[in-house]
Amino acid sequence: MTNSPSITSPEAHGLARPRTRHFGSAAVWVLSAAIIGYALVFGGYMATIVAFALIYAVFVSGLNVFMGLTAQVSFGQSAFAAIGGYTSAVLTTTYEWAPLPGMVAGLVFALVAAFLIGFPTLRLKGHYLAMATLAIGLITYEIAVEWESVTQGYLGISGIPPLGIGPFEAVSDRAILAVLSVIVVILAFAVTRIRRSRLGRAFSAVAGSEEAASALGINVSRYKLVSFLIAAAIASLSGSLFVHVVGYVSPEVFGLHMVILAFTMVYIGGLGTVAGPLIGALIISILPEVFRGMKDYQDLAYGVTMILILIYAPKGIAGVADALDARRSA
Amino acid sequence: MDLNLVLQSLISGISIGCVYGLIGIGFCVIYNASGIVNFAQGAFVMIGGMATYVLMTDYNLPYAVAAICAILLAGLVGAVVERLVVRPLWDRNAAMFVMILATLAAQIVIERLAYILVDDQPKTLPPFTDIAPIRLGGIAVNYQSLWIVGCSVLIILALNSFFRSTRTGKAMRAVSINAEAAALQGIPVSRMLTLAFVLSAMLGAVAGILLTPTQYTAFNMGVPFAISGFIAAIIGGFGKPLGAFIGGIALGVIQSMAILGLGAGFKNVAALSLLLLFLFFRPSGLLGSTR
Repeated sequence: MTNSPSITSPEAHGLARPRTRHFGSAAVWVLSAAIIGYALVFGGYMATIVAFALIYAVFVSGLNVFMGLTAQVSFGQSAFAAIGGYTSAVLTTTYEWAPLPGMVAGLVFALVAAFLIGFPTLRLKGHYLAMATLAIGLITYEIAVEWESVTQGYLGISGIPPLGIGPFEAVSDRAILAVLSVIVVILAFAVTRIRRSRLGRAFSAVAGSEEAASALGINVSRYKLVSFLIAAAIASLSGSLFVHVVGYVSPEVFGLHMVILAFTMVYIGGLGTVAGPLIGALIISILPEVFRGMKDYQDLAYGVTMILILIYAPKGIAGVADALDARRSA
Repeated sequence: MDLNLVLQSLISGISIGCVYGLIGIGFCVIYNASGIVNFAQGAFVMIGGMATYVLMTDYNLPYAVAAICAILLAGLVGAVVERLVVRPLWDRNAAMFVMILATLAAQIVIERLAYILVDDQPKTLPPFTDIAPIRLGGIAVNYQSLWIVGCSVLIILALNSFFRSTRTGKAMRAVSINAEAAALQGIPVSRMLTLAFVLSAMLGAVAGILLTPTQYTAFNMGVPFAISGFIAAIIGGFGKPLGAFIGGIALGVIQSMAILGLGAGFKNVAALSLLLLFLFFRPSGLLGSTR
């Protein structure tokens, strides 16, 4: 892949990786595994924090496909997390479905919504695309607040059953962590496969230049839609996971805060890298616990960190690790 | 439906619409100078109301002096945002959404600083002139609405003459048409970018001061108003100041009609749906040319 002539500028999108793993990116995986391992062994409060981080890692992986691989921007992925989360919540409480079919139904709804929304939205570019997707996220939030007969408004829905298939239920912290870790690993594997597939190369071409991609015979709008659908499906999955792990859902979960947090994670981790979403989500979730004494300063620190990273390390942690491997100056 | 109620809503829609328009013009000024959409615009609106409040209550300054100081402070913050956040990214040729994220992060930083320096309580300012509203038949027009509309129109006229008649204004327009050509003519393009941020921040602060007596201000009130201002700018055709003002009024009126007809909960849904309609069917806005 590194040797093939490419119309895109792979460095800019963090796409051209040597097939063999090197020290830097391996270190990122080892660090992530160590954090999860620590939480698995010692459990308790740390396990809860890491579980949230893993759910976010799922959400951010979806964002990463759309933003990192395809270089599009969506501030509205929270809409699909909300659709997945609320579908799971309503079906498993009011209609007493099992978690898995509920999750699948959420996925279907999210995909249908993403298809209907994506069709007109993805024609937009730049700021217009950013704003339209932001509007979609905010409208979904408002619907969650106003459609009280289904969502119970600000009160939210409680009593959602834990994750489980048949007789197995993930109730304990450790069981939840194990299930989430497996899902994150499967997703990371899937993203790796996508990146190296024909689909991933098409995404990369669209990311590099839409004009050049279409000149090469790539159906740009179709691949953008496919990327958007994948991202929406993953977001929906993360929403469903959240409601089952927490047992409760309210509109606040899927507000603008979620979007900003996810963006910070994807950038800290490294946009377009496979390990980025995981390490980004872990760091951003654990850091506030380190600085717990200074609660008022947390968001301030987020903002400042975000600005510094965007200016001085726009490729994030996984990006820097990869750059070290390639003996490029970061 | 009661006609008086409709007219009453229309008046409040127009006055809040003028505020959206001023915020929208702030977006246009920066966008024209640089192609950047500054998502920290809401922070300036917040600073306008908050700083005026703090200067009046803690430092006992007269209303007008406090307001002017607040506007200058916002201008200073605008310059700082440009120098510390936008400029380094600009020099590195950062991608569009990196710029969006960075300015959004700047918004969060300013918001949090206001929270730490002041507090999280909503605050309000007294009306500019405390006289009973004018009664016209069954409807009441309060003086703050008149202040808002009057000040907004004055600002638009002043901006217009600034951009048409002064050297600096003409230089800024030249940069917006073609930055490279402007640089070749000896126009300091980078100084124009700073100036655009200062001007836009001051416009935001004025909007914040005008609207605070009719509503309230708090450390986190910026984002919703920035979104409304952005919608106003889109409706008008992005980058067209007059369009943004008309778009603001259109948005204000439609929002107040939605509140009247559908209930207060639909205020934001109406605004965001209007945004999507324009983005999908007429992204060049009311004053833009159809491409």
